[in-house]
Parts: sequence; C-alpha cells; structure tokens
Amino acid sequence: MLLEIRDLSVSYGKAVALENVSLSVAEGEFVAVLGPNGAGKSTLLKAISRAQPSTGVLDLRGESLQRYPAHAVVGKGICHCPEGRRLFPELTVLKNLLLGAYLRRDKAAVAADLEQVYHLFPILQERASQVVSTLSGGQQQMVAIGRALMGKPALLLLDEPSVGIAHRLKMEIFGAIKRIQRGGTAILMAEQDAQSALRIADRVYVLEHGRVGREGTSAELAVDDYIRQAYLGVA
Amino acid sequence: MLEILIHGAVSSAIYAMLAVGFTLIFGVARVLNLAHGSFYALGAYGAYYFTSHLHMPLLPAALLAIGLVALFGVFVEKVLVRPMRRSQLAVLMITLAVALVVEQALFLTFGSEYRNVPEFVSRKFTIGGVDVGGQRLLALGVSVVLIGLLWLFIQRTRLGSAILAVSQDPEAASYMGIPSDRIFSIVMALSAALAAAAGVLAGPFLTVQPTMWLLPIVKAFAIVIVGGLGSIPGSILAALMLGYAETIVGYTISTSWTEIVSVAATLLMLVFRPAGMFGKRAAF
Repeated sequence: MLLEIRDLSVSYGKAVALENVSLSVAEGEFVAVLGPNGAGKSTLLKAISRAQPSTGVLDLRGESLQRYPAHAVVGKGICHCPEGRRLFPELTVLKNLLLGAYLRRDKAAVAADLEQVYHLFPILQERASQVVSTLSGGQQQMVAIGRALMGKPALLLLDEPSVGIAHRLKMEIFGAIKRIQRGGTAILMAEQDAQSALRIADRVYVLEHGRVGREGTSAELAVDDYIRQAYLGVA
Repeated sequence: MLEILIHGAVSSAIYAMLAVGFTLIFGVARVLNLAHGSFYALGAYGAYYFTSHLHMPLLPAALLAIGLVALFGVFVEKVLVRPMRRSQLAVLMITLAVALVVEQALFLTFGSEYRNVPEFVSRKFTIGGVDVGGQRLLALGVSVVLIGLLWLFIQRTRLGSAILAVSQDPEAASYMGIPSDRIFSIVMALSAALAAAAGVLAGPFLTVQPTMWLLPIVKAFAIVIVGGLGSIPGSILAALMLGYAETIVGYTISTSWTEIVSVAATLLMLVFRPAGMFGKRAAF
C-alpha cells in the first residue's frame, strides 16, 4: 500500500477536526474524499503532508511520516496542491513551476517534467513569463497542479481543484488530473463536486463531521441511496 | 552642486546597505529587527579590534568581522527570535534587548571614547574640483556591488527563489520542500553581513562608539517606511531620497538639521501613506 492511514485524529484546541479516520491509497490509484464544507477534508490532506500535527498511523510505503516536518514530506514523494492554490503571487508562472522542483537535482528530468506540464496545460507555456497574479482562476489552478507535479510525486494531494472555476475549465482540469493518474501518479483528491469525483475516481471516501461515513468504489457509491440523495441531489 | 551629488551618493549608499538588510529580514521572516543597528556597530568595532588589538591586516580583519557578525545574526535569529516569532511585539522586545546588551557589552569592553577604524583608502580624490575621501568612494562602490550581487542572488539562483517563495507564502513554500527556518537563518546572515559591511566601510569617517547603533536603526526605519516595508527596490529608492535630502539640508541650512529629515520623513509617510511608496499594504 502506498499510503496507509489508521485512526488518524486532529484537534484544534478542544475542537475535534478529524476523529479516527482510516484510509488507504494504492500505488497509482485515484481516491477522492467527498464531504461538505468543514467536514475535515483539508485538515486530512494537511495532516498527510504534515502541515497539521496529528495522532495515529500515517505511513507512506510502510514508513511513518509522523516524525518528519512538512518540508521533508515532499522528498518522500508526497506533493500537496493546497486549498486556495497558494501560488507565489508575485513570481512568474515558470518560477512557480520550478519551485515545485525545489528539492530535485536532476536538471534533465526536471526539464522533461516541465515539458510534460506544458503538454498537460498548453496555456501555461504561453504564459510562462507572466506573473501568476495576472492569470485567471482556472489558469492559476493549472499552475498549482503543475507546480505540485514538478515535485515528481508518487502521491499527489489535490485540495478542491475545481472550486470557483468556470465549468469548461473545470472539465479540462479534471481531464488533466485523470491523465496524470494514467501516467502512474496516485491521487488523493478532496472535492465537493460529487458528480465529477465519482466519475473520475477509482474509490471514494465520504467524510462527515471529521469521520469517514461511507467508503467504496465509485461504481458502488454512485448507486448508493444516501449518496444519491445527499451529494448528487437525486431524490 | 557636484559636492552635493557626490556626498549625497555616499550617504545614500551607506543607508541603502543598512536598509536593504533590514527590509529583507522583515520581508521574508516578518521580523522587525531592532538589533539591526547593532550589527553595524559590531562590524565597525570588529574591524577596529582585529586591526588595533590583534594587529591583523585590514582586509582579513574586515572580512572576519563581517563573517562573525553574520554568525551572530544567525544566533540572534535561531536562539532568541525564533521561539517568539509568532508575536511581533515579543520580537521587537527581544531585538531591542539585544541592541541594548550589545551597547553595554561594547561600553564595558571598549569604554565610551571614540575608536578609529582604519581606512582602506586614505588618499583624497579630486572629481571635477571636489575633494572626496577615497574611503567614501570605496564605500559607495562596494555598496553598489554588494546590493547588485544580492539582487542577482535573489532573482537568479534557486536559493533566491526559495527566499522569495518563503517571503510570499511560508506554508506554500513548505509544500515545495523549502525549509523556512533555514531560509530565515540565511536571510538573517545576509542582512547582518550587509549591516556589518556598512559599519566597516563607514567606520573610518563616522564616529565609532557604543551608542552608534541607534542612528542607523532610525535611518533604516525611516527608509523602509518611506520605501515600503519589505520592498528592496523601495528601500534603495528611499535610501537615495534620504541620503540626498540630508546632504542638501546639510549644505543649504545646517548639518545640525540633517537628523530631523529622516524622522520627519517617517512621520509624514506614516500619516499620509502608511504602506510606503512600494509597499502593498500598511505594515503596522
């Protein structure tokens, strides 16, 4: 198993944000975490990338991540594309992308991966020397995903990649994410758009009030009555 | 006229060296370092001590002084500032304490009398009929080169990009694998080294005594307020403005009026445009 989480809990002071969450991601697998606002999706991803302290088992390929600081987790093969994108607003698209490869020393492979990102999102090549704060929301999201990819992750964490983005761009971004998975990268994506998530993910966890409510393959959950009512708006 | 031009440039250069380091550590680590003037004082005293007590040649003495001050800066950042970086007020207090401790340490070690830092260049040059001390021209040249190198380092190198990344979003930087704490230390070392270099270069023509940290911090403060806290181009431009404004006031009114310029500039700027010329937001 690539990522193995057992009984992971996070609390902010007295408020419990995650309670005994167990979840796994296999090599190359696409897993989505669904749930309403405040369910703990972002907290879960932050706990995985160690930006948020947590208790419980957090193993990557059998090695515990709990003893590493956030910046060291990247070197272990987890890249986090955070909520709200968190780009470096005053830097160019190219510099943002190259910062994603900060820890890598293999110049030729970095250049090849940059080509891959440009192939995935051709608009970024056109805009390479533009400062990112001048880009549209959808284009910024592409930079954020591309930047995370530049770290050559075994596991890519995506926090609501579709939020606040026009429908057409959203479809383009989901298509690109699917292609990233086909390239061999495992993906753990937090998402509110249940329909899209169920369509492209292999397996889905539903997070509610900091706990895993439902879990199963996308095919199973797509016909689950509760999911259909609560998340797909089907009566 | 030419006299004003040249002497204004020299003052501006010294101020820029002080202000760029001061604004850099604020921009990257959000540390308002009141001990910044102490780095300047320690640089000057270091050059004095290594040359007159240890009889070292000036260049190695100067480089050693700058290096040691950079290490001292890292110590201040790691041991004293880091545990309380969450609170700006605590950082102000601890760095003020460092400044006062350094002043007292210098006083106890060297006494209150003025000390002489030897000049690198002692001959005078005549430019268009104006006599200028060689040391002043050297200070001007070295300042331009150092700030230029710092700019290239930040814009062109991988580590420089990491510094920019941390200054814009430390959490996002950690997602790139950039260790913010190490970046803070590096920036503090650069900032302290620049201030120490200013002390070494200006020491021969300014007064070297234990309270010498105070005026530079007032100037650096004025410059970054005018230029916009955290903005390097802003602080360079503001250093030029302040350097020339002081020189012009010194020549046309009286040298005893020069010190009021920086304080007045700080006040006016805070009242009318708190974000400074290049600042994106008010820093306070």
